Amino acid sequence: MLLAISILSITAAAEVSADAGKKLFKANCASCHKLDKKLIGPALGDVTQRRTEEWLLKWIRNNAEFRASGDADANALFAEYKGSIMQAFPALTDDDIKSILAYTVEGDKKAAPAAAPAPGADAAAQAPAEGGNSPWLIYILGAFLLVNLVLLFRVRNTLKQINGENPTNLLEDVDFITRVLIANKRFMTFLTVVLALGFLYAIYSFLMGIGIEKDYQPVQPIAFSHKIHAGENGVDCNYCHSSARHSKHSGIPAANVCMNCHMYIDGSEVVDASGNLKYGGERSPEIQKIYAAIGWDPEERVYMEGYEQKPIQWIRIHNLPDLAYFNHAQHVNAGKVECQTCHGPVQEMEVAYQYSELTMGWCINCHRETEIKGENGYYAGAIDGSASISDRLVDRFHEEKITVANIGGLECGKCHY
Amino acid sequence: MASNKVYWKSFDQLANTEVSQRLAENEFAQDIPVDVFLSEASSSDSATSRRDFLKFLGFSTAAATLAACEQPIIESVPYVVQPDTLTPGVPSFYSTVYTDGQDYASVLVKTREGRPIKLEPGDSARFNRGTNARAQASVLSLYDSARLREPSLGKKNSDWPSMLIALKKSADQSRAEGTQFVLLTSSVFSPSLQAAIERIRQGYANFQHVEFDAVSQSNTLDVWESLTGVRALPSIDLTATSLVLSFGSDFLASSMAQQVSSDYAARRKPGSGMLRHVELESNLSLTGSNADKRIKIKPSEVSASLAYLINQLGGSAPSVGLRGDLSKALQSLAGEMKSAKGKTLVLVGGDDANQARLAAALNGLLGSFGTTLRSDKPVYIRRGNESRLANLMADLSAKRVGTLLVAGTNPVYFRADFSKAIAGAKFSMALTDRLDETAMLCTAAAPIPHFLEAWADYRPAAGEYSIAQPTIKNLFNSMPLLEVLGSLSGDLRSAKDQVAASAASLGLDWIKTLHDGGSTVSSGAISGAPAAAAMAMAASIKLAKPSEGLEIALYENALGAGFQANNPWLQELPDPITRLTWDNYLTMAASDALAMGFENETNSDGSLDGSYANIKVGKRLLENVPVFIQPGQTAGTVGLAYGYGRSAAGKVADGGGVSAYALGILTGSAKVEISKAEGMHEFATVQLGHTMMGRRIVNEVNLNDFVSDPSGASWNEKPTFHTIDGLKSAEEANLWANHDHETMHMWNMSIDLTSCTGCAACVVACNAENNVPVVGKEEIRNLRDMHWLRIDRYYSSDMSKDRAAEENIGGIEMYAQMEEPSESPMVVFQPVMCQHCNHAPCETVCPVGATVHSREGLNHMAYNRCIGTRYCANNCPYKVRRFNWFNYITNEQFADVNPSQDDFGRMVLNPDVTVRSRGVMEKCSMCIQRVQYAKLEAKKVGQPIPDGAFTVACAEACSTGAITFGDVNNAKSAVRSAKSDARAYHLLEEVGTQPSVFYLTKVRNA
Repeated sequence: MLLAISILSITAAAEVSADAGKKLFKANCASCHKLDKKLIGPALGDVTQRRTEEWLLKWIRNNAEFRASGDADANALFAEYKGSIMQAFPALTDDDIKSILAYTVEGDKKAAPAAAPAPGADAAAQAPAEGGNSPWLIYILGAFLLVNLVLLFRVRNTLKQINGENPTNLLEDVDFITRVLIANKRFMTFLTVVLALGFLYAIYSFLMGIGIEKDYQPVQPIAFSHKIHAGENGVDCNYCHSSARHSKHSGIPAANVCMNCHMYIDGSEVVDASGNLKYGGERSPEIQKIYAAIGWDPEERVYMEGYEQKPIQWIRIHNLPDLAYFNHAQHVNAGKVECQTCHGPVQEMEVAYQYSELTMGWCINCHRETEIKGENGYYAGAIDGSASISDRLVDRFHEEKITVANIGGLECGKCHY
Repeated sequence: MASNKVYWKSFDQLANTEVSQRLAENEFAQDIPVDVFLSEASSSDSATSRRDFLKFLGFSTAAATLAACEQPIIESVPYVVQPDTLTPGVPSFYSTVYTDGQDYASVLVKTREGRPIKLEPGDSARFNRGTNARAQASVLSLYDSARLREPSLGKKNSDWPSMLIALKKSADQSRAEGTQFVLLTSSVFSPSLQAAIERIRQGYANFQHVEFDAVSQSNTLDVWESLTGVRALPSIDLTATSLVLSFGSDFLASSMAQQVSSDYAARRKPGSGMLRHVELESNLSLTGSNADKRIKIKPSEVSASLAYLINQLGGSAPSVGLRGDLSKALQSLAGEMKSAKGKTLVLVGGDDANQARLAAALNGLLGSFGTTLRSDKPVYIRRGNESRLANLMADLSAKRVGTLLVAGTNPVYFRADFSKAIAGAKFSMALTDRLDETAMLCTAAAPIPHFLEAWADYRPAAGEYSIAQPTIKNLFNSMPLLEVLGSLSGDLRSAKDQVAASAASLGLDWIKTLHDGGSTVSSGAISGAPAAAAMAMAASIKLAKPSEGLEIALYENALGAGFQANNPWLQELPDPITRLTWDNYLTMAASDALAMGFENETNSDGSLDGSYANIKVGKRLLENVPVFIQPGQTAGTVGLAYGYGRSAAGKVADGGGVSAYALGILTGSAKVEISKAEGMHEFATVQLGHTMMGRRIVNEVNLNDFVSDPSGASWNEKPTFHTIDGLKSAEEANLWANHDHETMHMWNMSIDLTSCTGCAACVVACNAENNVPVVGKEEIRNLRDMHWLRIDRYYSSDMSKDRAAEENIGGIEMYAQMEEPSESPMVVFQPVMCQHCNHAPCETVCPVGATVHSREGLNHMAYNRCIGTRYCANNCPYKVRRFNWFNYITNEQFADVNPSQDDFGRMVLNPDVTVRSRGVMEKCSMCIQRVQYAKLEAKKVGQPIPDGAFTVACAEACSTGAITFGDVNNAKSAVRSAKSDARAYHLLEEVGTQPSVFYLTKVRNA
């Protein structure tokens, strides 16, 4: 990893430029430094004013060596930050470091506010594009047909008058047709059957839907976005939901797991679609909720002592009834099932929702279709001179694919006890 | 004269008893208890009209429909900072020590999300490893809502600082005034506690520490102290024993029974050299039921019998006349003992000084010291001294005690006269787990932690050191005795620091010792008892003649001394012998009952009633003690269990039974006068039939027959059926297609009836593992017990089919006599749980497919599918299915008995097992949660499941290894070799159910 970073830094910075410096800064420095405020190390926005370039080159390249050489400023700095050790960067060339310094001077260029359209205009511009299948079109079409119908009727009456017949009233006509239809037993039987079936289907659908909370998307106490974490930043699901591999519960991460990253990332640099700082350079109020829970003082960068910690009360989305035993480890670890198989495209969810029905039919369909991981030593390993389970399964099912159902995955007691 | 013949259906009807009248009035005895079902006591006399009822019905239906559409919002709250040793959903295990004032055992505690939920034997070979019923149940006592929560001073709520100040002030004042400062405890065998007490002694010249055991061993301890110089009982080593002669010693149910019964079972593996066990006792005890030979004697005959044996074997003891048949039986025993010299062990029960002396002399004479009776390896868990307690009571009455600190014991309940004496203390404080009989009479009461909440260390026996660690934070505002004493002596270290210092002083590695639960340490040389001194002691005693009158012998059942009386699992655990629950009673021989007019009656609904007796020992009277007629009880004796008759233990225990301690018998037996009292007592029993009625339910064989026919053809005959293809075994002749049991696992269970002692630890373990509901005395009386695992007890009968044929006795008369147990019956125990039939009768009759077969040989029960027709239970030949007649966890009728009805009691529930609701059937699942867990663990590490990697709760709890569980598809598994044993047979094999559970024939060394 470090090697990769070093190679990246060498190749990326052929000459001194603030753009290249930005990349290098993000890759090497950002976990401890910010431009405008103190993180683990000092704010670097005005570092070139505080120190000479020569001093900075030595410090950044290898600060321990530099300190050992007896530089008073370097040792004072080290003491000021209570001995927090800064890593050495022997792989950075002078140009690289100069690029980084150039970036610290220039900072993040802000996109010109005028370039972005006003929010109201944005919404108005989007509306017609979405109007392709707007219900209004159907209403207009319907009204048009109705007008046509009336016109045709009027035309027929006019023709009748021309022929000297009595013009008929529209209502009388409808009445006549209705009477004919009512008198027609076949039609009535057909209609009754269709209505009855439709009614039964509606009731069936209603009843079958009871307890199914597909698409359940409660408002959570923190506006946590899986899209940002798992999608854009590619954080592995198991990083936060670590117990999914070991336990029946996937586990909701404790606040201390959040703090592994959010000790450094406080959301103040988040930009919105138009490139503006989303929170105006302040800490994200959502991330501050984690700080409030665990008692982190972002100014002093310490956990407050004696703080009464308040757990975050998440709303549970997937509510399997108690009578069904589900074990994440079995599926994630033994069955090698992707999280997305059941939880859907979590990496695209701004707000998490229930993707699957979580009905028993849904479970056992999967058990019917999914093949077991026969290479697992539990199946493949022979013990005490008996044939391995894999061998026995092949003996019994021959060339058939061996699904979870074949090893008893549809039996009641596998999930209900 | 045409017909004035009267036909009568039973003797009851002929005698026109109350029962037969009631039966005649109402043949189908019970009305459906609608008001009970509606679970409102007042519903029968409420003014609710039918119209109102329909209104409520309509409203509740609409409400239920609406509620069903909207799922409630469920929160999921993670830790703020998750402990790194804990993963939600994965259990953690801790070694610790189970002690409750009476028992001692090394155990492993299973915790889930920080809650202890189960005690297991553990795997490190510490002293008395394993669990008995009380140890298994103790995890529920932790969550007893009757526990004392806050300190109280002068009946007012207080706090610990004020308590400690008040105690110190009183102790200092006593020192100044020259009155005594007394600490009263049960036996203390904790090095760190002994050190803390020593520090107090140094600060207070007026300090005294008095130890007493609820069930006293003081006289026996005096005898051994005078022989060895150490106040401790010798340990017994059955591995070196070939003949055990026990005089009323219930050694298979004692406080050290786990180790002893494990050795007992190991020495009783069928074959030549099998340990022989002869029991001479008055009550039919658990140990006596396991004996190869049982001789009925009275407590007062024990000394004379021991003296007789000593004289027979060449020793010298005062001789007293014995009844002829007894001396004859003893003579033949003396012969056996002679030939097993050095390998014989003589044990006595109770606490009679003469008996203890004579038994010691006899053991010395037989060369048992240092071999079977290890006085050089003493056990320290009993140290009580009754003479010091008597002195304390005298001092209290004379107001010579300024400060009395009672810790972890309950003298007012355990000792008849203590309630009067305690008033003499100027200041008294009870450190107690509940506001019990003693705490109520004390000036101050303060909670001490449960053993699962506290640090402690123990020295249970020579060479053994163990550490108990907390597995949960204190539930209540409690403080361990170590810290309370520390505050008096100015030692402000925490209990953990004190224990750590004690371990360090022994040179032990803290982490390793903690992990293993303890360590062996050097015990220093302890000289064994000299045989000559023991004999000299026996020769000098004076023996009285055996008494002619009635005698009472007190005994312990699963409740033990009564420290855990408020534990509903123990209260509902059927006594292994009498099969009664929630009670104690006077056990009485049938001949005595007949002579004195006591009766046991079975009612039309199957429940049992018994007459009341008043009993008098000396000047002490105990009224309205129910009488239970016990086969095997020595005529002229009665028995009564300790531990019941509480008045301030909590709602579970209070009012149940009578207190045997109130009789003031310290030696365990006494002369008694009994008179009949008015009324009948309602018993709650779980077994009505007492014999096997000539069927082969428990297969039994004599050792000689077993050895002479190893194939088992003569004693383990398999039922066969005539088919079109000739004779076929039950396994081959079947109506159904076979399941595929070869591909995956095939879980089987073997139960060795030779090893099973009937101790019932497995039953409580099953309750804890599987969230089995407690139903209370009323429901047990209705025969609606919910235990998934029961231990059937069968008595032998004097009548048999052979004898009936010989004596020309007709069928009806024969069966009537077969129902009657012998006066001196042989006893067998048989644990019965769901047999997991591979051709299960229950599966075929379930209309909704709620009970189905698995390809791993288990019979599954899907509670949510069950609609409660109970066809399955009716069709089960083993009667192992249990129906939830009520919602035991919410119905207020069970609020007093079911621990799951309060927030504390619910914490013990196993989160991996569904809590069943009303109207569904349940039964043994063969701990399917453990099976599934083991398979998952194997898949996680990518290994096949090795034999013995896991086992079910009952097998795990079994100290004797009677239950073996495993995969018969594993060629080398223990259960597979057991299945091919000549002793193996299936219960009711002729029914053709092909169970996955099988039994190993009981072999008796008779």
